Amino acid sequence: MSLLQFDRVSLDEATATLRQEVREFIEDNRRHLPRPNSDFATGHDPEFSAKLGAKRWIGLTWPSEFGGSERSFFERYVVTEEILAAGAPVCAHWIADRQSGPLLLRFGSQAQKEAYLPGITRGESFFSIGMSEPDTGSDLASVRTTAVREGDAYRINGTKIWTTDAHRNHYIICLVRTDAPSEDRHAGLSQIVVDLRQDGAQVRPIANMAGGEDFNEVVFDDVLVPLDRIVGEPGNGWQQVTSELGYERSGPERFLSSFRVFVELIRTLEDPTQTPHAHQNAAVGRIASHIMTMRRMSISVAGMLEQGKEVAQEAALVKELGNSFEKVLPEIARLAAPDRAPELFRRTFEETLLLSPSFTLRGGTREILRGVIARGLGLR
Amino acid sequence: MTEETMDTRQLIIDTAAKMFADQCDKALLDAAERGEFATSLWTLIDDNGFTKLGTSESGTDAADMYAFIKECGRYAVPLPIAETLLVNSWCPAAEGVFSIGELVNTTSTGASVLNVVWGTQARKVIGVSRDSHEVIVVQEPQAGAVSTNIAGEPRAEVHGSGHIVEVKDDPYAQLALTRVNLMAGCLARVLELGIQFAMEREQFGRSISKFQAIQHSLAVVASEVAAAQRAADAAVDALGTDRFVMETAASKSRVGEACGFVAAEVHQIHGAMGFTHEHRLHHFTRRLWAWRDEWGDEFYWQDRLGRALIENGADNAWDFIATRG
Repeated sequence: MSLLQFDRVSLDEATATLRQEVREFIEDNRRHLPRPNSDFATGHDPEFSAKLGAKRWIGLTWPSEFGGSERSFFERYVVTEEILAAGAPVCAHWIADRQSGPLLLRFGSQAQKEAYLPGITRGESFFSIGMSEPDTGSDLASVRTTAVREGDAYRINGTKIWTTDAHRNHYIICLVRTDAPSEDRHAGLSQIVVDLRQDGAQVRPIANMAGGEDFNEVVFDDVLVPLDRIVGEPGNGWQQVTSELGYERSGPERFLSSFRVFVELIRTLEDPTQTPHAHQNAAVGRIASHIMTMRRMSISVAGMLEQGKEVAQEAALVKELGNSFEKVLPEIARLAAPDRAPELFRRTFEETLLLSPSFTLRGGTREILRGVIARGLGLR
Repeated sequence: MTEETMDTRQLIIDTAAKMFADQCDKALLDAAERGEFATSLWTLIDDNGFTKLGTSESGTDAADMYAFIKECGRYAVPLPIAETLLVNSWCPAAEGVFSIGELVNTTSTGASVLNVVWGTQARKVIGVSRDSHEVIVVQEPQAGAVSTNIAGEPRAEVHGSGHIVEVKDDPYAQLALTRVNLMAGCLARVLELGIQFAMEREQFGRSISKFQAIQHSLAVVASEVAAAQRAADAAVDALGTDRFVMETAASKSRVGEACGFVAAEVHQIHGAMGFTHEHRLHHFTRRLWAWRDEWGDEFYWQDRLGRALIENGADNAWDFIATRG
């Protein structure tokens, strides 16, 4: 596999059985999907997450010692894509399952793994990401939040922002400065776990333009946490966040955010008494051709993860393609939907369109991703 | 896939790449556009056994054949090689240059076939129509009017008496799949040319590859090119399955959609130099523009794919997409 040649990966028989189980599970839990939405960042439903945990579908690839199911990245991929395509509410456990858990598994201490991972796999313990700050967006190394060691504690001061579900989740893993800035701007950064309910961080929800209150400002005003909350080696934060972002960037959530618009577009066209125009068929076909291709690329990256490979560049490429198309999809659907389209289409379209500006921002802006890809091409 | 088949394929790709890098240069491409058939290159390809790829006697499979076709696209090989390979796989036996075009008319006096690639050179021509597994084999083709596509590749009208042959995998879709692979190879080459030019060209005292505008342009081009490779491979992998036509539809549409964008961006990066006849870039970009229209453009295949999805129903849309392969 090279940056341009994504491996041909075919999902095996085990995933077919699992896929069927997930579909049955979704059918049995329709009441958790009153308004299906494939955007992973909407729909925070702890009860649904606990049910997934009971099926052992959170922490699928993790060791059983910490409550994981020791299954493959392909199996994880299949569970993830089925749940997203159905539009199920996944937000509560999403970050913990996708990146906080893998981060702790890779860099955390044995005590941290024992403390946090089993709760995550049960769908009971939810995490947020503390990276962005009011003056730190794409330039992540410029974070100003400090964690200063004082005896047997770290004193944290600063502000994190755009923190999805900090007002609903249990923990936040923050990227903080543990050493003063030096010439190497990537040095002196660390990751630290803060208990959002116990440690005294102030969480203020921020309304978004789509009418949701999902993200927050999290203020740390002399928040004291024990020393053992540091994840990995102090000062290793930059290496850790960059590896964490690989998990964040290649999954099916990066091309399925607007999938429900596609489904509802088809529903507007499937009336047997009306033959769709060719341009309407073509709109459906065009969307499908993109999703089918990106899905295979995302599976190729799952194959790399399964082999323990670094996926940063490939993941950036999949996210770039996926996020760009997630925004184009509603635009295609809008012009293909019949006049006076049913309410369900209109509502799904509008909800997605209002969320769409975030697609190419969260998890690394389009501009940052293109820089990562350009580096992979040898241009920088 | 076993290691042995992987090795065979890599050997085919490496050998083809070396052969084309040596032989298929700008002078040959220019000559082909003047109507000169590249006889010596054809002989070399034939002598190396590449015209038999995909047949059981050659010990290679269809995926090897399409991998070779992708290499032909990468070097803009101006020969009816994809057509000859398909003819050999549909009705084995004969030797020589064969071609394929669109069947428009069959009467008692014979068949008319349009847009036959290098039709004047072909000893045998096959006419293919949409939605039919039956093709017409014209044994002694009489070439009529010859035109060229936007890439300067000759396309002839051919007449002659013929007989019917039944082809297993939808033949029109197989032709589309040849274009998919030609485009995929050609797209990768156009990206390479763009990267190479951006690194060599200096403005404002540094290589233009150092400018973010250029980096981002090439990053998006690379994303499209990577998507095209994966889409092409997916359709090849569906050969012989009931998904073949739909996977080809998705693939021809997706890869075709990449062509216009990639050609435009890489021309932009090349500036006026890439607009000269002397530069080799246009041999590749004009082929992208030609091939995306041949054997069903994006709209044709999107319409077919979309119709199937709508007939399948909204609540089965995900199941349609989430196949194992």
